[in-house]
Amino acid sequence: MEKTNTIKNTRTIRNTVIVHVVLTILAVIWLVPVFWLLVTSFSDYDGMDTSRFFPKVWTLKQFNKVLFHSDNVVQFPRWFMNTLIIAIFTMIISTMFVLMTAYAMSCMRFKGRKALMNIGVMLQLFPGFLSMIAIYFILKSINLTNSHLGMILVYSGSSALGYLIAKGFFDTIPDSLREAAYLEGASEARTFFRIVLPLSKPIVVYTVISSFLAPWTDFIFAKIILNSGLSKDWTVAIGLYNMLDKSLLPTYFTRFCAGGILVGIPIGILFIIMQKFYVEGITGGAVKG
Amino acid sequence: MADMTMVPEKKENKAAAFFGAIGNFFRSFGLAVADGDWAVKLSLVLCGAGYFRRKQIVRGILVMLLEIGAIAYTVFIGAGYIAKLPTLGTVQQEMVYNPDTMQNEMNNYDNSLLILLFGAISIVTVIVSIILWMANEITVYHIQKDAEAGKHVNTFRNDLHDLINKKFHITLLFFPILGIIIFNIFPLIVMVAVGFTNYDRKHMPPAYLFNWVGLANFKALFGDSLTMSFGYSFRKILIWTLIWAVLATFTTYFGGILLSLLINSKYTHFKKMWRTLFVITIAIPQFVTLLMMRSFYGDTGIVNTFLEKIGLVGFLKNIGLISTNYIPFLTSPGWAKVTIVFINIWVGVPYLMLITTGVLMNIPQDLVESAEIDGANKRQIFRHITMPYMLFITGPYLVTQFTANVNNFNVIYLLTNNVYTTTDQKLAASSGQEVDLLVTWLFRLTSDKYNYKMASVIGIMVFLICAVFTLIAFNFLIKDDREEMFR
Repeated sequence: MEKTNTIKNTRTIRNTVIVHVVLTILAVIWLVPVFWLLVTSFSDYDGMDTSRFFPKVWTLKQFNKVLFHSDNVVQFPRWFMNTLIIAIFTMIISTMFVLMTAYAMSCMRFKGRKALMNIGVMLQLFPGFLSMIAIYFILKSINLTNSHLGMILVYSGSSALGYLIAKGFFDTIPDSLREAAYLEGASEARTFFRIVLPLSKPIVVYTVISSFLAPWTDFIFAKIILNSGLSKDWTVAIGLYNMLDKSLLPTYFTRFCAGGILVGIPIGILFIIMQKFYVEGITGGAVKG
Repeated sequence: MADMTMVPEKKENKAAAFFGAIGNFFRSFGLAVADGDWAVKLSLVLCGAGYFRRKQIVRGILVMLLEIGAIAYTVFIGAGYIAKLPTLGTVQQEMVYNPDTMQNEMNNYDNSLLILLFGAISIVTVIVSIILWMANEITVYHIQKDAEAGKHVNTFRNDLHDLINKKFHITLLFFPILGIIIFNIFPLIVMVAVGFTNYDRKHMPPAYLFNWVGLANFKALFGDSLTMSFGYSFRKILIWTLIWAVLATFTTYFGGILLSLLINSKYTHFKKMWRTLFVITIAIPQFVTLLMMRSFYGDTGIVNTFLEKIGLVGFLKNIGLISTNYIPFLTSPGWAKVTIVFINIWVGVPYLMLITTGVLMNIPQDLVESAEIDGANKRQIFRHITMPYMLFITGPYLVTQFTANVNNFNVIYLLTNNVYTTTDQKLAASSGQEVDLLVTWLFRLTSDKYNYKMASVIGIMVFLICAVFTLIAFNFLIKDDREEMFR
């Protein structure tokens, strides 16, 4: 008996060591580039210093430049405000659209519901920026390119198509709860706001954060719509991308790293909060079944 | 206005149900016209008449306003554009001498793009108006029937009340669907239409007109001629797109499962910490991490410097794998493709890890326990319980992931734009590159070459690929009803 126990113990120890060694190696592989971004942002050298991993001189100079010394190329505070304004309005409109659509599709039964859902699936099979090219011309014909309003419309206009995750969550709320509400004389609207929404906090949080994040992480739509070439119109993504242009890289690379860290940290924190709900949303409907 | 009341859903043949519904719609319209009283018949012309007759004054006024608006739009704006749609405009922009002002002035020229844009909008508006007009007639007839049967006829207050009750879905869906129509469906119609025109650099409005060319662009995409190499590029890029989509989907999927099994193994301590470490890499916006990776693996990047220091570059050169003084991670076709797939694993595995962790934790433990009691070993449990369960839950996600990878613009574009240059003349002639996916090629065609017609045709092809794949996959995954399997 004792012998089998020791064998078991050595095996446990051996496996534990193996698992942790493998995980450590993987974590290093995954984190080295991010770590490099972090340490480079503290470098004194403006361009990309490839001769060393850690900077020669550690300084906060680059953050200082990015935040307080804007020039024609880099206007980080301005980009940040642009993106923030766009993100806040996108968040409000998209959240409303997504939750409204999800409730109608999940909790109500009406003629044409299935047809609408099928159309939704089909529309998403087209590459997103195929329509973006036409949207650009539409916005241009009403003078909304290079404007906040145009970007907000682009991000939130067709956001209702992303209702499926929220619908999956609403599907798990028992019908009996809503039926009880109807029996008490509550209207459909009241049931939505007073019964279903309060029970759906995770998915509301998920929708709010993910729609807030969209403008921060999107690159391509902003590139098509904000094409004036004027730095002051840009979002963070376009601005940072532009800093890595071949001609600018030698003078701006370290500032790119600092900017990347500055936008990466808040966005990263939001993402980490959101990911919990993301998993629940994707698997929720099926798992709770 | 359309009377969408709650109907229990039945499972029927979809196509038959669809055409049946259309037939019913026309039948009820015919019945309403034939059988309605004078007010209902008058509603054909003055849409509000039926409501006024039943004292639904506000509703009647609203409907009349809508009718006036629709007619005014069609007559004053829509008709002009629709009339020009078949030719897409005939008057080219030019400077004309104006004897009144004694100056050269721009003539009243046609803009093909605006004609296409507003022509499409107008056609849809007219069709929707006609459907609403017919639906209105049916509604008015129903109200007449209700009134004749002595039933309660809704007041305006009742109608409003309905909008937050049994017709709440109309209130909910109105703006979201309007948004989708304006920002998704219209633009798609226009862009698909562009595929049948000769809209490119030589035919750029407003200076020049473009017109319909039928299927010429599709022919160009499938055939090769002396001057055009689209057929060659299309085949090459299509093959790489498919290989990429399969590789990217499966490497990240199984990588994610392995990583989450590792993190959730009973030997692992600090599970949460490990998970967070990997999530950090995807928490930072992709354009930052990918652009950084691009510098990291650049020809003069830090990885190359390091590998040269330890002598690996020299070694690879000696055995003939590279001919340069650096490893062309993102600059030679073969290396770039491998690097991109690996960087994509780096980007994608943490996502899949998150998702599969959630699924793994939810595997019904009684299933696993009873299998253990029956003497199944770990490998058997993994093969017969964990994997099928995982596939069942994540199957649909896997399908959407494949189409997402066909459309994976960010990874390819951010990693290779301005870094990778093709040496293949035939590809370059149609502004493609070996590492391009159909979507990045499409984007390059529009942003560098203003070749909208070919971009549109490629977009249509992408849609066809995704649609066919999705249909097959969903039939395969969902048709055999496995929903009860794990309950």
